[in-house]
Amino acid sequence: MTDDLGRALDRISRVRGMRGSMWVSADDGIPVAQLLMEGVPGKAVAALAASLVRKVSGTAGAVGAGKVRFVQMEAAGGTLLVALAPPDLLVVALADSRVNIGLARLEMMRAALAVTA
Amino acid sequence: MADDIRSLTAALARDPASIAYAELAEALRRRNQPDEALRVALHGLSRHPQHADGHDVLARIYSDMGDLDRARLAWSKVLEIAPDHAGALKGVAFVRFRQGDVAAAAAALEQALAADPTDEAARRALETVRHGPPPAPPPAPPQPATAEAPPAAPPPAPAAPEARPRPAVFNGFDRSTADILLLDERGLVLAGGLLSSSGADVGEVAAAGLAGVSGEATRTGEYLGLGTWRTIVAEAETANMVVAPVGEGALLLVRRDRSMPVGLALRFAERARGTASAWLAGQGA
Repeated sequence: MTDDLGRALDRISRVRGMRGSMWVSADDGIPVAQLLMEGVPGKAVAALAASLVRKVSGTAGAVGAGKVRFVQMEAAGGTLLVALAPPDLLVVALADSRVNIGLARLEMMRAALAVTA
Repeated sequence: MADDIRSLTAALARDPASIAYAELAEALRRRNQPDEALRVALHGLSRHPQHADGHDVLARIYSDMGDLDRARLAWSKVLEIAPDHAGALKGVAFVRFRQGDVAAAAAALEQALAADPTDEAARRALETVRHGPPPAPPPAPPQPATAEAPPAAPPPAPAAPEARPRPAVFNGFDRSTADILLLDERGLVLAGGLLSSSGADVGEVAAAGLAGVSGEATRTGEYLGLGTWRTIVAEAETANMVVAPVGEGALLLVRRDRSMPVGLALRFAERARGTASAWLAGQGA
């Protein structure tokens, strides 16, 4: 299982512009496995990503959009991407603004699906 | 607000020739009573046909009602009377932007900024107009009704439930009162609407939740050194959501069916953001 998680992170990290990726416990925002460039604050990324997903999921439920599967937050200096891997994991990636979001999303959804299946 | 309307009504009753009619019409407009607001504005303007602020209020009322042509005419009248009237310049920019004339919208905003370089709302709107994608052409006019319905036509669908009456900022956008919501940073609805699948108005619930999302996004951007956030896209089971800040202190939510690709939903949201930004500038917000 740990090898599978690591291999998934390795694939995600090969996407251009990626600064790091990690598996995170959805409930408490604690990193489970991570592959990060130097200087990327893994614990903060994990905690903030989990918190953001909780808020977004609450709103999605309120507006009848259903369960959230993927979240991307684009900012001036980069992008935070999160794929949900129910029941209790998140795939989180932090990228700079050059990232190919479509490709990163594909790899992250693939990883989430593999763990969920 | 109700007290304001009472006191303004009383003031106008004491002095029917007063220009307090404009303030009363604006108060009624803000209370989503467009018909009353229109009546008061037109009556006041019949006494004060050269009152620029009265025409400005009239334009806002028409704009709220979705009658952009009349709104533009009213704002044009303001500019005949007071060429540097900031509200009218921003109003013209809003109408022009909605009508797809980005260059004219930018020119009006530049004029507003030239008249008042400290007008932050106009500056933000100008940035949005200059850097956002051009709006799509206005929707085709409805086809004239035929004398007889085709025999195989399905029975008409039940009328969609109405959202709570709010300023018609997004008229011309697909599902403008069912899937597009503009709110402030405190979670209060400003315009647009959001209906659930059963037709219930969930705009206020969504707005309250979104205020939390915005705060979380801001915190995330700051902690991770990402800077100011621009958009949040959430792909969910039945719909995709796009959330974007509009200037300072306002947020836009666009919900689109999953059949619309995410990239297209983002472009749709960007166009709605431009419209919202221009509208807020026109409100002096």
